[in-house]
Amino acid sequence: MMNAPLKQSPIAPAAALPGALDIRNLSKDYLIDGLPLPVLENINLHVQAGEFVSIVGASGCGKSSLLRLIVGLEAQYKGDILLDGERIDATSLERGIVFQDHRLFPWKTVSENIAMALSNLPLDKADKARRVTEHIQLVNLQGFENAYPHQLSGGMAQRAAIARALITQPKILLLDEPFGALDALTRVRLQHELQRLWIQQRSTMIMVTHDVEEALYLGDRVIVMDARPGRIKHQVTVDLPHPRNRSHPRLHALKDELLAELVSH
Amino acid sequence: MNAFVRRSRGLVLPILLIAAWEYTSRQGAAQAYAFVPLSSIAQGFSQLLASGELLTSIVASLQRTCSGLLIGALAGIVVGAAMSVSTLVERALSPLYHTLRQVPILGLIPLIALWFGSGEGAKVLIVSLAAFFPMVLNAREGFSHVDKRHLEVATVLELTSWQRLIHVQLPAAMPAIITGLLHALAFAWVSSVGSELFLSSGNGLGNMMMNAETGSRMDVVVIGVLCIGLLGYGMNLLFSRLGQYLLRWRGSR
Repeated sequence: MMNAPLKQSPIAPAAALPGALDIRNLSKDYLIDGLPLPVLENINLHVQAGEFVSIVGASGCGKSSLLRLIVGLEAQYKGDILLDGERIDATSLERGIVFQDHRLFPWKTVSENIAMALSNLPLDKADKARRVTEHIQLVNLQGFENAYPHQLSGGMAQRAAIARALITQPKILLLDEPFGALDALTRVRLQHELQRLWIQQRSTMIMVTHDVEEALYLGDRVIVMDARPGRIKHQVTVDLPHPRNRSHPRLHALKDELLAELVSH
Repeated sequence: MNAFVRRSRGLVLPILLIAAWEYTSRQGAAQAYAFVPLSSIAQGFSQLLASGELLTSIVASLQRTCSGLLIGALAGIVVGAAMSVSTLVERALSPLYHTLRQVPILGLIPLIALWFGSGEGAKVLIVSLAAFFPMVLNAREGFSHVDKRHLEVATVLELTSWQRLIHVQLPAAMPAIITGLLHALAFAWVSSVGSELFLSSGNGLGNMMMNAETGSRMDVVVIGVLCIGLLGYGMNLLFSRLGQYLLRWRGSR
């Protein structure tokens, strides 16, 4: 079930979804004991609609802060973050996020958790139920609709979290180390599934990760960030078509390049 | 068989106690008055059943406990939630709440009787107060420890404040609320019977016992004690089960 081959999506691929992200001169400070501590400094990044961008970097390079700003959980920043030309200053159903810890509500079943995302969309009950069923199929969780999160494995919980983030058909999906807490085998499987979902949905995706191989396997582009303060240090374009072969020599060459970049100062 | 033995272990001590009771009652007339023989208790029990007095008293006490518990617990949840959400409410109510909380509810009965009389309303008020105080404490605790990460999800999903309350904060506070409810139940039951002992008008197990005491019917007093204990135990069991059902999402812990 976990290794289900690419199959026809029950949902029509959202063709030509907008979702171009433009980050200009972004800086962000946190106040520590009244003193500003810079976490992000002068970030400039353009992400095309439908592009998959991976961000790697050492702990403390502000990559998670960057995602929190894009999703709108933090509104105070200098510079501009524009999604299709509109400045981001709050959360919106146009932007979905998957956290490292699945953050499902433990008191709700898988279906209820996924359905929560539809709470304020103008859909009737039957439509919502149909969408939930489709998305449970999309992430291969059939049979677990009525399970509570504590009854799921880490990988299954993360699939449910991905379904919850995708069900609103966001223009852009943000992934904050989504597979960081999973075992190696589950991680490989979910990377494969995420690739399949991305090919089907073609929404813009930005994934933060520690794992260089994961970043290269999934990303059209990999951004390397440096810490204190967080800034973009390097980027590589992965010019291989999807779905990719993990053992492609080009990926290995790029991995060496990125690792060298990550350890250098 | 093993399961049966395990289940019956809790009965060993009560049975020994009853045996000791019966033994003492047979040691002479004075002892037989203080420790009513089991046969008299059984006789008294069937009399009370036949006359319907026992049932009327039980229903009256239970009814009052339930309405008091409902009012007190709901008010306690609302006040506790308000105190956890708003520092203004917390600062305004906290000193008053923590002062009043120190006073045993039964100590307030003379004042309540003075202001509200000794009818059913006054008794329900006493029970409500008894349920209210433990509920506030637990509800505030529950509502102020909602996982920040879940609140962020609520923000990302664009939930309204009402949806956030119903789908995130209330369920997150539910374990503490259930704990509060079990405490509130115990206080409500004790103060329901207690109020009957102090305010002698009306029906209830407490009234039944007071009347029996004046009539030197120690068998009826013992029956009252047993009923109060067993009914309280039963309600606690019922509410624990209810709590387990409401918290089934936590899994076996």
